[in-house]
Amino acid sequence: MGTKVPKVSPTTLLPITLAERLLGAAMERGADFAEVFAERSESTGVVLEEDKVKSAQSGLAQGVGIRVISGMKVGYAYSDDLDDEALFRAARTAAFIAHGGGSEQSFKVSRTPLPTFYSLKQHLSAVDLSQKRDLVVRANRAARAFGKRVRQVSATYADTTKRILVANTRGHLAEDVQDLSRMSVSVVVEGKNAERRSGFYGGGGRVPFSHFDVFTPELVATEAARQACAGLGAADAQAGEQTVVLAPGWSGILLHEAVGHGLEADFIRKGTSLFAGKVGQKVASDLVTVIDDGTVANSRGSLNVDDEGNPGQFKVLIERGVLKGYMYDDFNAGLMKTKSTGSGRRENFTCLPMPRMTNTYLAPGEDTHDDIIREVDGGIYCANFGGGQVDITNGNFVFEVSEAYEIKKGKLGRPLKGVTLIGVGPEALKNVSRVGNDPMPDPGLGTCGKDGQSVPVGVGLPTVRIDKMTVGGTRVGAAR
Amino acid sequence: MATNYEQLAKKMVARAKKSGASEAEVFIQVGREASCRVRDGDIESLTEATSKGCGVRVIVNKRLGFAWTTDFMPSNVDAFVDRAVALAQASAPNPLNGFAEGKDFGKLPDVGSLSDSAIVKLAPDWKIKAALEMEKVCRSYDPRIKTVDSVEAGENVTEVYLASSAGMTGGYQTTSAYLYTAAVAAEGEQLQTSYWYDVKRFLNELPSPESVAREGARRAIRLLGAKKVKSQKVPVIFDPTMAAGFISSIAGAANGDLVFKKSSFLASKLGEKIAPDTVTIVDDGLLPKGLGTAPFDGEGVPRRRNAVVQNGVLRSFLYDAFTARKAKARSTGNASRGYKSMPSIGTTNLYLEAGKRDPEEMIREVPNGFYVTAMLGSGANLVTGEYSRGANGVWIENGQLSRPVQEVTVAGKLIDMLQGIDAVGSDLRFLGSTGAPTIRFKELTVSGE
Repeated sequence: MGTKVPKVSPTTLLPITLAERLLGAAMERGADFAEVFAERSESTGVVLEEDKVKSAQSGLAQGVGIRVISGMKVGYAYSDDLDDEALFRAARTAAFIAHGGGSEQSFKVSRTPLPTFYSLKQHLSAVDLSQKRDLVVRANRAARAFGKRVRQVSATYADTTKRILVANTRGHLAEDVQDLSRMSVSVVVEGKNAERRSGFYGGGGRVPFSHFDVFTPELVATEAARQACAGLGAADAQAGEQTVVLAPGWSGILLHEAVGHGLEADFIRKGTSLFAGKVGQKVASDLVTVIDDGTVANSRGSLNVDDEGNPGQFKVLIERGVLKGYMYDDFNAGLMKTKSTGSGRRENFTCLPMPRMTNTYLAPGEDTHDDIIREVDGGIYCANFGGGQVDITNGNFVFEVSEAYEIKKGKLGRPLKGVTLIGVGPEALKNVSRVGNDPMPDPGLGTCGKDGQSVPVGVGLPTVRIDKMTVGGTRVGAAR
Repeated sequence: MATNYEQLAKKMVARAKKSGASEAEVFIQVGREASCRVRDGDIESLTEATSKGCGVRVIVNKRLGFAWTTDFMPSNVDAFVDRAVALAQASAPNPLNGFAEGKDFGKLPDVGSLSDSAIVKLAPDWKIKAALEMEKVCRSYDPRIKTVDSVEAGENVTEVYLASSAGMTGGYQTTSAYLYTAAVAAEGEQLQTSYWYDVKRFLNELPSPESVAREGARRAIRLLGAKKVKSQKVPVIFDPTMAAGFISSIAGAANGDLVFKKSSFLASKLGEKIAPDTVTIVDDGLLPKGLGTAPFDGEGVPRRRNAVVQNGVLRSFLYDAFTARKAKARSTGNASRGYKSMPSIGTTNLYLEAGKRDPEEMIREVPNGFYVTAMLGSGANLVTGEYSRGANGVWIENGQLSRPVQEVTVAGKLIDMLQGIDAVGSDLRFLGSTGAPTIRFKELTVSGE
């Protein structure tokens, strides 16, 4: 029953001696630092729509990016041709940034031991395609079985097995294989008066394929359908400042936007983040401890090694409201006289690395989920989020809340629609008045975009209450 | 060089047929890019590269397979095509499967030149000089400009080739050059940033680095001191950039695939009056020198001009070949793609036609309202037609732009917003491939305190 798909030919990413010679060529004009980044990514995807497996897809991207640093200047060139001529041309193009009169030097690189936060016995690229297809077929069946109101179901499974090699003129050599999978289901339902609502759920991570024996397509599809139905008949949200309670888990996306980006070192060095120069200062309520952790086992944002060859790390960014530190890549760390925090990431070999988040979450507090809701006289419970965006300079962030409920006298009430949260990062953090002690499951859905580059991230948040949050809605001044 | 890729595409189509595909289509994209970022009067980063990629779609026994690669080693090409053929076995047979065919193709339009030899031959230091000038102008615009987030200039040259078993072959080359400035202004504890950019097919159409830098700086300074306002329902004006974003949401809802699945709030409204007479939204794949102009779309169908909304009436949805077949419609030449993905429905040069109103007069007529110059979040739910986005801008008091505003949202229902457009400015301008003039909504909800 297995579908035979010819395997992409396994070739070595890049011979070590060639990497060393490229480093030599890149340093020809007397730069301070050079780095070779090689990548080979195999991806597979299956898409189901309108009750049919619409297509099966696969892709292969391979190439080499060469970065040369001279003082504060960076030269970058890449090539998807892997022949010597093209690679040396790229090395010399990147070298152009340096002006010194160097001469060809020789470099030797050697492997340093790396931690292992994920390591799959069977890479996802080697899993039979028919097994991946079965996931979307099962998801569709489960979503359709949810009820007659279900009108549209689309299900997608996608994975990537990415091999990287980083070699630099500090003699450092690192290699990693980064598997990543995600399945997702979106459902459109129809209620009374032809009202249509959509729901979306999914997840995955740097997990073996057997993850989907537990995180089943049925579970994913049922949750997507439930979310869609939950919005039927929802009332318009009241506009203005209100108390909001965020559900645990995926709502961590709010933390990612509201503070995470503003703590990335490139914005700090350029002075464009409103968190610049505030280490040691109180930037949030005492209840707020923010962690970025690249070492979480099998999580979507985890890194054995980042895209500059540094191991993933556990970092406390904010501790009991006090700003402790930022997230650094090598380049910004060098200019700021500190060390990389293993946060240098890039979407692929065509991109320069930047400081990025890995898995970012709020440390648990002491209150129970139920108590947090019970204390709220009037407010909004935000159960699920769509997308968000932040302006790191003025700190403004927004979130679309895809599933929301009124809280009235400590109890969840009717569903609300069209809820958007907006705030200024540090102000919202100062207004965090309760933090739950509940687990914060991250299904493994997050993709973060910055400067045109997308990377997978993990997020997490226990149940949290934030006071005086501005809620965007369409209703003004009506009685509650 | 050019014919080589076209020949390669044809050879791959032939290979797919030989390996059992009833239909095959090959899309190849080859390009080079160069860019420069500057900071503190010096180069921050300089990037140069060439790249290429190929996507092949096949149909085998009515089943669809798709594979893409950046590996063009001649010895690997046959195996790559065979991979797409093998992949098709994992998908389900669908009698509607098939690529663009005879009736879709027709004569390719004359779109004029899409490639500027001035950009092809651009001196390597053009981008460096342009970026350095932008940074200098930006920093000297006002003492409150504290730094820049990024200042960048660059150029691209892209070639596209397509071949299909239906007999379509073709190729074209495009160029573009761009200027980008993101300024950071500071006053007291507050920081504000605003960007401005332009991108054109032809170098002589690009504004001066100075004007791009000044606009970026002006927009950042204008937001200094921004505060929340009280929640209220008021007239709201979108500047041309924000109006273009709004028009993109409307065009997104005219996507034939969403319409077919009844997942668009516009699905049942074809032929209905959805906006005032002054509203005409056009997607024009043939616009002279347009950034979205090309002789054919992502599956070889001739590009054309489609009026989505004509004088307020919803006239056309946008289709690619597959969706058109499902919906018993015709492809409108709106298949958009890169080599890494299968074609999907997208816009080309999308714009709201200019109206007759003086944009300054549109502001003067508002006693109390909001002039929006920047937004956050994606905001539009095309299934339900609900719209809610974070907004920055300037409050309008007694017909004058008064104090800057941040940390608020504007919200409404897209259909009510369209109906409520009570003025369309004469100042149509394109930013990239989307354009709009200033527009005014009679009333939207602004959420703040």
